[in-house]
Amino acid sequence: MQQWTDLFLNKPLPEGWMQGLLFITFGLHLLFVLLMLGTAILSLLFFLRDLLRQPSPDQHWNEHVAHSHMGLKSLAVVLGVGPLLLMQISHPHAFFTVTGLFSYAWLAIIPLLITAFLLFDGFAHKIGTSAWLALICGLVGVAALMTVPAIFTGALTLMERPAEWADFAASGFRFDAQWMPHWVLRYLHVMGAAVAFGAAFHLFFSARNEKQKAPLLRKWLLGALMAQAVIGLALLATILPQLSVPVLSFISLGALALGAAVWILRPESSTADYRLLALLPLIFVSMLLARQLMQNEALAPGQAEATAQREQRVRELAPFSQKALDAFAVKLRTVYDNGDTIYDGACEPCHGLTGRGDGPEASRLRIPATDLTTMRTDRDYVYEMVRDGTPGTGMPYFRMFDREKLESLLDAMGKRFGMYAATPPPPRDISPVSLEVWIGTCAKCHAANGSGSPSGRAMQPPPPDFRRSSLTHEQALKIITEGYPGTGMPGYRNQPQTVREDLAIICNSFRAAHNKSEK
Amino acid sequence: MNFPILHIPVVGDGMTIALNAVLHVYISHGLAIGLMTMLVIFQTLTWKGKGAFWADIARRLLGPLVVITTSVGAVTGVGIWILTGSLAPEGIGALIHLFFWPWFIEWFAFTAEVILLLCYYYQWDRLITRKPGTLAAIGWGYVGASFISAVLITGILGFMLTPQGWPWARSFTEAYFNPTFVPQCFLRVSGGMALGILLLMSWIAWRFKGTAEERGRALRVCGTALLLSLVVTAAATYVYFMRVPQTYLTHWKFSVATSYLSQMPDFLPAVNAVAALVLLLTALAAMARSRLACRLLCFPALIMSLCFVMEFERVREFIRGPYLMPGYMHASQITLVESEALAAQNAPLLPRLRWVNTSGNLSPATQAARTLFAANCGVCHAESGINGIDQRLAGRSADGINAMLGITQRLAPYMTPFVGSEQERAMLTEYLFQLSSNYSRRAQQAAREK
Repeated sequence: MQQWTDLFLNKPLPEGWMQGLLFITFGLHLLFVLLMLGTAILSLLFFLRDLLRQPSPDQHWNEHVAHSHMGLKSLAVVLGVGPLLLMQISHPHAFFTVTGLFSYAWLAIIPLLITAFLLFDGFAHKIGTSAWLALICGLVGVAALMTVPAIFTGALTLMERPAEWADFAASGFRFDAQWMPHWVLRYLHVMGAAVAFGAAFHLFFSARNEKQKAPLLRKWLLGALMAQAVIGLALLATILPQLSVPVLSFISLGALALGAAVWILRPESSTADYRLLALLPLIFVSMLLARQLMQNEALAPGQAEATAQREQRVRELAPFSQKALDAFAVKLRTVYDNGDTIYDGACEPCHGLTGRGDGPEASRLRIPATDLTTMRTDRDYVYEMVRDGTPGTGMPYFRMFDREKLESLLDAMGKRFGMYAATPPPPRDISPVSLEVWIGTCAKCHAANGSGSPSGRAMQPPPPDFRRSSLTHEQALKIITEGYPGTGMPGYRNQPQTVREDLAIICNSFRAAHNKSEK
Repeated sequence: MNFPILHIPVVGDGMTIALNAVLHVYISHGLAIGLMTMLVIFQTLTWKGKGAFWADIARRLLGPLVVITTSVGAVTGVGIWILTGSLAPEGIGALIHLFFWPWFIEWFAFTAEVILLLCYYYQWDRLITRKPGTLAAIGWGYVGASFISAVLITGILGFMLTPQGWPWARSFTEAYFNPTFVPQCFLRVSGGMALGILLLMSWIAWRFKGTAEERGRALRVCGTALLLSLVVTAAATYVYFMRVPQTYLTHWKFSVATSYLSQMPDFLPAVNAVAALVLLLTALAAMARSRLACRLLCFPALIMSLCFVMEFERVREFIRGPYLMPGYMHASQITLVESEALAAQNAPLLPRLRWVNTSGNLSPATQAARTLFAANCGVCHAESGINGIDQRLAGRSADGINAMLGITQRLAPYMTPFVGSEQERAMLTEYLFQLSSNYSRRAQQAAREK
């Protein structure tokens, strides 16, 4: 079994089979799209025409036409999945690039189709009972429905012009001579085909038992086919450089079949001529073949280049394949459901395995990671810090772990670093001088009771709440002497050693007193 | 990264896909499998001489079901292709190349399903009295096709949560017939049945115009079927999640309850228990033929069932976290091997991106940073909005953000690694710090204005 470094290189089908299947599936999808679109447009037009007539005729037949839309649209949608799938296998480079460039227009297909289908179903439902509701549903629904082919034809037009991709990416939709005329004509060509096939379908289907409707449908079919001839010629002019002999042959065959169909439909005749059932599929298949040949010619070089690049990249990446898998295996075995694993994974990079704030990432931090081994803190205070992080520092919040995980982490930290041990009571009394320094200097940020003054709490990071958190005497003395880098805590080397010692005792006395009073 | 990167601003990719997916799942499972199966059963009961009212119920609901299934259900199904193709082309492209055949066969099943549904709908009036057996045969054919289509899609979706041996052997069978395949088949079908039965039962309780005795019989059938479906769904869900690696599963609470509510350890289990109880009571009320109890319970039950669908989808999508395809590709669509290679060489990511969005007159540094953010983080985080990175990083120092970027996978194991050079990491850091500072400033201003 091949170890796929890039699955895009895995071809589940030989190229020929893929192209054949793409042709068949896309043909089926397009046929039902045309029938659905044509049905919607014609049904709305018949309705509008009847609405303007006084008295308005019975809508029974048109109800039948509109009602067939649901089946046609269902099949059109479901049959669209196949070619979508095959397109992503045979031309992934062009397909994903262009749908990415078309982005929001491409995504708009979803709400547009839902709106169109629901409203048109509403139109079909209300056509005979509530003219105004039917009118609104029909107009909005068909407008939404007619927008979708504009997006598809736009995407396909761009897809077949790889040279234009960069420009399109830079400036988006714009009127230019390169692909806009082709897009507009291609869209009109689809619309014309929809009216033609819709009219033909209802000529043989809905007008079976309503012979008086046949002339009307024949007129629409004839008009649509003639319009197709005109639009087709103009469209041909936009793709002259891409016309190869096989493409021209198929187009000529389609044009001949179209001419024959027009001849059969000329105004003198009035019945549904079954020769049309051979000619119309012939037009459809020959035009579709021409389209697919041109598309393949346009997309093949880009796809080959993209494949070559992927192959090259696979060769470059091959030496790292096993290493990536090994790392994945380790990650798969590492379950973040216990404090030790969470600490080793999430906390160790900064706080270090020993908790001394010397992890591999600690050197990046302007404000050093706390030395956890020197903390003597209330468990709920640590929980809050872990849960919410510390603003102004690199300490992130860990609310992304649920409470049980955080409690387990707190257990592990307590076990490893003895963080929740009681703060020993002050070993001696404080001198009045030191007390003055505390009140006059330290309390400005820490507050007289160690809880943090309003101005202190506004700092980033804020000072700790000494009623709930303390440090070992040595660590407190070190911070008082040297300050805490990157924070508002300056060093007080200028104070006598005895005062600094006293200040360290003061800092730690609040929690000791607090815990005592709680007991 | 060969394709243009598109991320949905404010709402985010995840929420966009989720809205479409939940709607699709509810319709494709609840209506297309569950409700439709029940309607075919009802029509079959009439054919077997159990009373005309069964078919009347089915006929009343068939029209709306077909409209919603073929309009919203089918389009949102195709919508999943459209959305994933635009938002995760490398991911969906790789999945299609691996699972082409199941998807292709699924397409046939899906097409058969639609054709049979349309035949059933369009032929009803013609066959219901003359050839009810033929109509039932079409209906059961549809049910079979819908079950096959549910089974086919299961292997593909289950694969993403079940690494097992696939990353090492890369064989199709190990991917497709993964350990969650069987329980998920049962889960999808029975869950779909439960959703559909609930809808049917609600309609019978509120809208059925037949006699009290007929309503009672219909409710009892619905209640029994609902209870059975719920039992199978619960069992299948249990087995399914037992087979999902703990590495993933352990984050389920956070995935649903979000960061604040997940700090209440009993909140989510309690809510789930209450929801399950409501569903159970609804089934029992229907079995007891109590119209009033069914009327009262059906709305909360419907809401709970929708919430269960949302919860399941959210858990399934979220907990696989950093991987779009386990052992092969990260959620950011950068393959594991490429991440490894770039990290080992301290190589930049930007030159490997074929498409960079240069619209917006940004400075080169901001442009680069935004592109790096889109490539590395954009799949889960918006710059601002739902799961906005500006809010997530608010208050953190620049050096802290820089440190975090290097350890995303260790910080939260469902995050993807940052891929890029040291210099790119610094560029992204600066940009993220700017975003988060702006957020903090706005938050402070809003607080002051209050």
